[in-house]
Order: sequence, then structure tokens, then C-alpha cells
Amino acid sequence: MTNEQWFLIIALGIGAYSIRFLGLIMGKTINDNQHLKKLLDNLPACLVVALVASSLAEADPITWFSALIALGVAIITNHVVLTMIIGFSTIYLLKLI
Amino acid sequence: MPMKNGMINIIPLAVGAAIYGFAFGVLAAQLGFPWWGVALMSGLVHAGSSQIVAVERFATDGFLAGAVFAGLALNLRYLGIIASLAPLFENISLPKRLLAIHITGDENWALTMAKRAKNTNVGYAFLVGSGLVMILTWVSSTTLGAFIGNSIPNLADYGLGFAFTAAFIAMGRAMWRSKNDVVPWLVTFGITILLTKLNMASAFAILVGSLSGLIIYILIPTINKVEKNDK
Repeated sequence: MTNEQWFLIIALGIGAYSIRFLGLIMGKTINDNQHLKKLLDNLPACLVVALVASSLAEADPITWFSALIALGVAIITNHVVLTMIIGFSTIYLLKLI
Repeated sequence: MPMKNGMINIIPLAVGAAIYGFAFGVLAAQLGFPWWGVALMSGLVHAGSSQIVAVERFATDGFLAGAVFAGLALNLRYLGIIASLAPLFENISLPKRLLAIHITGDENWALTMAKRAKNTNVGYAFLVGSGLVMILTWVSSTTLGAFIGNSIPNLADYGLGFAFTAAFIAMGRAMWRSKNDVVPWLVTFGITILLTKLNMASAFAILVGSLSGLIIYILIPTINKVEKNDK
């Protein structure tokens, strides 16, 4: 494993546990602060939308089409793995054609 | 309620997590992580969506700080999740609390709180029993996925990266709450696309795009209030 991979794993591990620990010792204080709570509640969703946008920004029409199919599957099923499988299968088949 | 009850009740949810874990393991291995590295990550981090986001970011632009930030930002919900466990932690020693917060995940937290709403005897033991099953499932399924992923041909040329995009789309769907999300999400999407097109590094485009959406979330109540006053 590369040094970068080690760093990623250890930094994520320490960071993830620190967030949980912070929740243990001052979660109530954070939840009582309405502004902070609003930011924390909405940040993950904005981040995920930005990640989708980033991966599609320079993509070809096949990828955009596959993303629309994946979005349809996600809306209907609300299932992560099913969306991944059907999304990947769509782009795989379209690129074969 | 004894720990065994938590272990048994969580099994259906653990099956779902195992499938997701297997898929993550395959993807991580295809992006160059050895199976034991995936096992280590799953044991230390124990956060599915954070791991998938961080690994994708790391593979896409190699910007370590950006990958860690993105992974952790997705995990901020645990501030609230862990805070909500306070009643279960009464009379529980600190070392036991420190163990419980690590093995608490979305699934066993939700199950414990749902069962506790009906029966107040459900508490720390149930949480820990279900959490132990979940973390064991997560580590073993991601490791198995990585083991398989290490031994199959490279799928990158066939659009493997899109599996991550599809995962993000599904995560977004799960985070959808109401029509109030439409405008902030569209702004986030549009700004991120625009900045990427303008050749901004993807890590910063994602950061600025996300912050733009957050600003809209903050502004919406103010705009609604002004509109109401105008009427």
C-alpha cells in the first residue's frame, strides 16, 4: 500500500472517530444551536450533489444518459446497490454498442 | 433487553449492508487498494458512504486533503446520531461508551431507536449487540469484495468510475427530504459544473459548489419571509 493510501485510511479513521467523540461530549450543545445544526444537516446532501456534478461536468452524452437512468432507478427504488448495478450495466452496454 | 436480541434483530439490515460492502470492496480494489487495506479501512473508519466518497476522490484527483474532507463532511451526521444516544449511555462507563460510538452505524442506530420507542428496556446492550454484527458484516463483506476485486480484470475501461457516480446519485436520493431541497441542489449542481468547466480543480469546485448550496439553504427562510410580508 502506498504512503498516500495509509494516510487516507488513518486520517479518515481518526476523523470519523473524532466526529463521534464530539457527538458524545457536546452533541446536545451543537443540536441546540439552530444555525450550526442547519449547516450540518444540509452539508452532506450538497456535497453529494456536487460530487455528482463534478463527475458529470466533463462527461460524454453516454455518461449523462446513464446518469439519468441511474437517477430514475434511485428515485423508484431508493436502493444504492441496485442503482450502482443498473447504472454501471447501462454505461457498459452503451459503450459496447 | 439482552445483547443477543440486538444481534438477531439486525440480521435483515446486515444482509443489505453486506451487499453494499461487497460492492465497495470490489471498487476500492479496482482502484488499487489491497484487500487487507480495505479491511483495515472498514474496521477503523466504519462509515460506508464516507469510505466510498473518500476512495473515489482519492482515485480521481489524488488530492488527499480533499478526499479526507469530503469523506468526513459526509460523516458529520454522526454528531447528531451519537448525541441522541445520551439516554442509553446513562450509568454506562466511559470505556463502554467509547466502544459503542465506534460500532454505531446508521442501521443499528435506527433499529435501536425504533425498538426503544416501543420498549424502554431496549438500550445499550441492544445497541452494542446490533453494532457488533454490523461492523463484523461491514469488515468481512468489504474485505471479500476487495479480494474478488483484486483478482478480476481491470474494469476502468468499461466505465467502472460511473459506479461511483451512480452511488452518489443514490445517496442523494436517500438524502432528499422535500421540495425545499430543489433550489439549493440545483445551485450546487450548476455552480460545480460551471467551475469545473472553467478549469477549477475538482476538489475546490466541489467545495465552492457545496457552500453555494448551503448559502441558498440559509437564504430560503429569509426570502420566504420577505415574500410573505410583501403579500
